[in-house]
Amino acid sequence: MSGQSWLQQSIALFRKDVLAETRTRVAFGSMGVFSFASLLLISLAMVGLKGVLLQNSAGQAVPAWNNSGKMSLLWVLLCFAAFAGLSHSFVYEEETGTASTLKLHMMPQAVYAGKLMFNTAILLIVSLVITPLYMVMTGMDAGTIPMFLAVMLSGTGCLAAVATVVAALAARARSTGALFGAVGLPMLTVLLVLIMDAARQCYIRSEATVQYLRPITGIVCFGVLIVTLSAMLFHFIWED
Amino acid sequence: MGSRISDSSSGHAVSLRDPDVSKKATNQWWSVTWKVTLGILMVYVIYGAFNIAHGAIGFAEKGIAARIIFFHVPCAVYSSIAYLVATWYAVKYLWLLGDKNKSAAVLADSDFKSSAAMELGFLFCILATITGSIFAGVQWGSFWNWDPRETSIVIMLLLYASYLLLRTAFTTDPAKRARLSAVYAVIAVIPSIFLIWVVPRVLQTMHPTTTLSNPANTSLSYKLVLYPSFIAFTMLFIWLMQLRVSTLRLTEARRERRLRALEAQH
Repeated sequence: MSGQSWLQQSIALFRKDVLAETRTRVAFGSMGVFSFASLLLISLAMVGLKGVLLQNSAGQAVPAWNNSGKMSLLWVLLCFAAFAGLSHSFVYEEETGTASTLKLHMMPQAVYAGKLMFNTAILLIVSLVITPLYMVMTGMDAGTIPMFLAVMLSGTGCLAAVATVVAALAARARSTGALFGAVGLPMLTVLLVLIMDAARQCYIRSEATVQYLRPITGIVCFGVLIVTLSAMLFHFIWED
Repeated sequence: MGSRISDSSSGHAVSLRDPDVSKKATNQWWSVTWKVTLGILMVYVIYGAFNIAHGAIGFAEKGIAARIIFFHVPCAVYSSIAYLVATWYAVKYLWLLGDKNKSAAVLADSDFKSSAAMELGFLFCILATITGSIFAGVQWGSFWNWDPRETSIVIMLLLYASYLLLRTAFTTDPAKRARLSAVYAVIAVIPSIFLIWVVPRVLQTMHPTTTLSNPANTSLSYKLVLYPSFIAFTMLFIWLMQLRVSTLRLTEARRERRLRALEAQH
């Protein structure tokens, strides 16, 4: 494999991961069940808020359980789901001992690219399944559709980028499971603030005043910076 | 003849004493002077905060609330400077890893400095959060408002905590611990940049940011206390940093000595 370019190597790793996943379905299964259970918990917990009106500072009555609030909880759910399943990608290489084979035969950057592709793909599939279900169960509107899609896509990509590099870091420790969430979630809080800001734009009444560029640029910049730095530093994490 | 003998060939007096002794004495003199100056400055700042600075316009409790700036602002500033210092040494560590002529001591030193700066940053961050919360309680009537500044400092606190947590996971392998925590320190720069520049723009703030950045806003009595306070906190930071780095060095040396003793036994 050493004669191939890093792109070919990373695609080979991606295909290997997809094949392994179709056989075991561990990552997809754990993330799917985890997010579906959280979805049920959230809708159950918020049932009492349905139809409740609150008064805002301008004296208008607004629903307590509004679209922005629902969107925030959807993202909290997706963050936790990502951290429930994505650690698997590096941990199982360490557990089965295949990490050494990868270290011998592949460039570190190719390993990073392959794992990032796989994690992004699996997170996209999970959010593609969970988001419509969540919308049906909580009655969340999509608001401005193009903005909604842009937020979901860029947010999922960023989430996968952060989760991948933290998973690689945590897989090198002994108590991986506990460490993964605790190390990764503080980094995600900043991303979550950016996503909340972008999500608010989905629910602005008149479409002419919706700001597309600024919030999405923020999210994309965050993701691009994380991916660049992770790719540059990945060999420090990966090699002994 | 005492401790000196005469070198007949060159005619110079040669000392039989350890050459490090005079260096040690200078270091000791510096260390005592540093601590005494720091002590005097800190006492002055505490005295000045309540007796030199008068109540400021626009602050609660007849302007008394403004006095927290002598302690809160330096803590907040040093919680960010500590992060910069830690990242600097983390980058230096990773840079040195690729250098073939590096010495193990220099490499370990960058790691200790990065870690010590992170610990101090965590400490100053906690102090800035507590003093800020007290100020918010007095000035705005509630100890926590989810103001963007409050949000960012609490996320900063989390980032520091997760760095220190990551370090605890690799107690048996110092080289791996140093390498992986340096990587984390560098990557966590991105959320910190977004915290400083982006988050306050996304959310609206009540925090008085321009009060101190414009010199015309602060009267002489405030400058008389605030500037010494910054000097005192700088000296405190440097002193604590030195203390922590030397404890880390000693702990590591003791660990290695124990390992060698164990290896000799078996």
